[in-house]
Amino acid sequence: MAPEDVVSRVFGVDRGRVTDATSNTTLAEWDSMGHVNLILELEATYGLSLSPDDTLTMTNVEAIKRVLQSRGAAW
Amino acid sequence: MTHNSLSADLLEQLIKAATKASTTREAIAALTELNTAEAVVWLITNEATARAQCAPRDLAELLDVVVKAGLAGRAGTRAGDLAKLVARYADLAHADTLATVANSLPAVLRNEELVGAVHKTLEREPRHAGLLRVALDHALRKKEMFEAHRLLTRLGRADDSQATLHFIWRKRSVLKPTDRPPVRIALMSSFTIDPLVHYLDLECRAIELEPEIYVTPFNSWAQEIIAETSGLRKFNPEIAFLSVSIDDLVGDLGGLISGDQLEEAGEAAVDRILVAAKQFAEWSDAALVVHSLLSVHREPLGILADRGKPGRAAWLERLNARLADELQKLPRAYVLDMTDVLLRRKGGALDNPKMRHMAAMRLCGPVVGDVARAYTHYIAPIKGLTRKCVVLDLDNTLWGGIVGEDGPHGIRLGGTSPGSEYQEFQRYLLSLTDRGFLLALISKNNPDDALEVIRSHEGMILREDAFSALRINWRPKPENMIGIAEELNIGVDSLIFLDDNPHERELMRQVLPDVLTPDLPADPSLYKATVEALPQLQKLAITEEDRTRTQMYQAKRQREQTRVSAGSLEDYLKSLDITVTIGQVDEASLPRVHQLFQRTNQFNLTTRRYAIADLEAIAGDRGCRLYTLRARDRFGDHGLVATALVRSEADTWRVDSFLMSCRVIGYGVETALLATVGEDARAAGAEKLIGEYIETAKNAPARDFYSRHGFSDLGTEDGVTQWVASLTDANQTLPAWIRREVA
Repeated sequence: MAPEDVVSRVFGVDRGRVTDATSNTTLAEWDSMGHVNLILELEATYGLSLSPDDTLTMTNVEAIKRVLQSRGAAW
Repeated sequence: MTHNSLSADLLEQLIKAATKASTTREAIAALTELNTAEAVVWLITNEATARAQCAPRDLAELLDVVVKAGLAGRAGTRAGDLAKLVARYADLAHADTLATVANSLPAVLRNEELVGAVHKTLEREPRHAGLLRVALDHALRKKEMFEAHRLLTRLGRADDSQATLHFIWRKRSVLKPTDRPPVRIALMSSFTIDPLVHYLDLECRAIELEPEIYVTPFNSWAQEIIAETSGLRKFNPEIAFLSVSIDDLVGDLGGLISGDQLEEAGEAAVDRILVAAKQFAEWSDAALVVHSLLSVHREPLGILADRGKPGRAAWLERLNARLADELQKLPRAYVLDMTDVLLRRKGGALDNPKMRHMAAMRLCGPVVGDVARAYTHYIAPIKGLTRKCVVLDLDNTLWGGIVGEDGPHGIRLGGTSPGSEYQEFQRYLLSLTDRGFLLALISKNNPDDALEVIRSHEGMILREDAFSALRINWRPKPENMIGIAEELNIGVDSLIFLDDNPHERELMRQVLPDVLTPDLPADPSLYKATVEALPQLQKLAITEEDRTRTQMYQAKRQREQTRVSAGSLEDYLKSLDITVTIGQVDEASLPRVHQLFQRTNQFNLTTRRYAIADLEAIAGDRGCRLYTLRARDRFGDHGLVATALVRSEADTWRVDSFLMSCRVIGYGVETALLATVGEDARAAGAEKLIGEYIETAKNAPARDFYSRHGFSDLGTEDGVTQWVASLTDANQTLPAWIRREVA
């Protein structure tokens, strides 16, 4: 499952609307509670534990992909 | 040459060319590699060939490969073609394949064929979260609001992750509310409690309530309780939950603290909670449920704890004991034992350290669902959802095996497994009768076979006297269910049906949807836990009537038998030696009176559901009388079975509420109570007695109450019919067969 799929599922938006530029400023559903849920889902999907610094930077899809790749996650 | 035959040719060539491609399956796989778009079109146009030449399982695998390749954007595969493909093969395609295609399309582009395939597949895989989301999108687009609510609840059961529960809650917030009974719930906490809102919303809907949930602002639970103008007070909850973590009140539990410091800080923390709880009780009539205290921190001394001095565990236990003792003194406060919740949790660890630090969340993930389910055990009885009778199947429900086939000695029932699972379940069911629930039986069996086991099998815990009604025959179970409801004089919406057979359950749900028919797991060792988890089997208090209800119904069965031998009805009633004791409500009888107000549906003239606080106020109001009636006869004591609320005005007494337990319908005790009210009114100088009647779907047995006691109809306004009787001529008299005592 690609990070875009996770973002689409967590926020309940069409998969086609999710691009690298999708961020916590472009999606109303991506609020602080939504961010917590996104982190939980990413951790569960890729079986890894994200650091507090990671979670602070992962506020758009492009950054999410970068962090996940640096942690060896593949999709 | 048509596209179709080109592809067929290509396929054939591939079969011949590829040395390893000796089957159509391998050929399609090869074609997919080569040209996915061609493979998709070929599969759509040559469906019959593909189905004839490939095993369904192989074809399902292939479809998955084709779809994944197609979605990866190879060679111009069109999304519409993929949708057509999976819809065509929906009967055998993996649910995941279908969901993947559907989710790749924007909701507006999913056509009826695709959505139809999704619904079909959901029948096969009812808990597929991906497909449920597709069906949901469709229902929302079509504005099918009830369907959308239903699908959201199903989705929450299929995927209980925090993200999905949040999604469900957001979607609901834009839907129109349902017409189910509303419930106002306040959540007060020392930490971030937002996920609980989402889980609790789902659980309330699962018991058919429409929740409205207020959350106190972050960590201001104490201020909200104290401040006179707080949002909490304005919200005026019916029930409030207070979850305060000891880790938030005693800041440094992660480190070493001296024993004295620990004692002092712990006591101060409990004091803070108790002060808040007392203040809450001063301005609110709502029930208050307080979490018992838990700490996420382990004993800093590790395994050295408890050697020589009391450790953290013992310290917490003491604090919780004091919390429980003190809260018990408040009229409507309860402690939610968190260790009990954790013992039975389904949803992973309670503490997620990252989320605790990042989001001040002390409850995180699916375990929050366990907490929400524990909450509904308080919410259900407060909203009057408690059922009255559990109706049980026999074979494979109360014992293992089928008595008609295995014989009374061949069934599994005893102290060791297999068999001890059923005994444990029976012990639990028996304990329900101590809490005032009735048990009944519906079994498709020869009565002699079944009764032999019930009467003489040494492993049987539930004997004949535990059941208030039995239907052992070969009739359809819903028909027997109605018979039981009539025999016990309760509505079918007071019944719970437990049967191991999914077909019997489905039949019951379809014919009698008001009967609560929960699923039983296939494993009998989980029966007890499953039934224990039902919020509809919780009570806020146990009355004397609850403890002896089963005996009372047994006595009723004996009375009915007397009735057959007695001559006229009046002779029969005389033979019962009925004595009623009429008095005014007092502190001891108030809980039972409240229970009658909450639960009586049939013989209830106005069905006004007064809360206990209302009744307390009424009891203290000199302008009101709240009558109680106890009845007994030669077969036993019925207990407190009727109550009337009468308001005295200048020359008129007005009967605001008049209700009687259905188990004494037909004995004339209501006439005795009305006669007493009339006498008291006359003695106080009143001239008229006015009775009110509000028709409901269930109170037909009470409809002619005033007319048959000589009252005249004054007309109906806003659903309330007024009946009047003059007190100058005494036309309400005690029935000849009833003896009256004054309390």
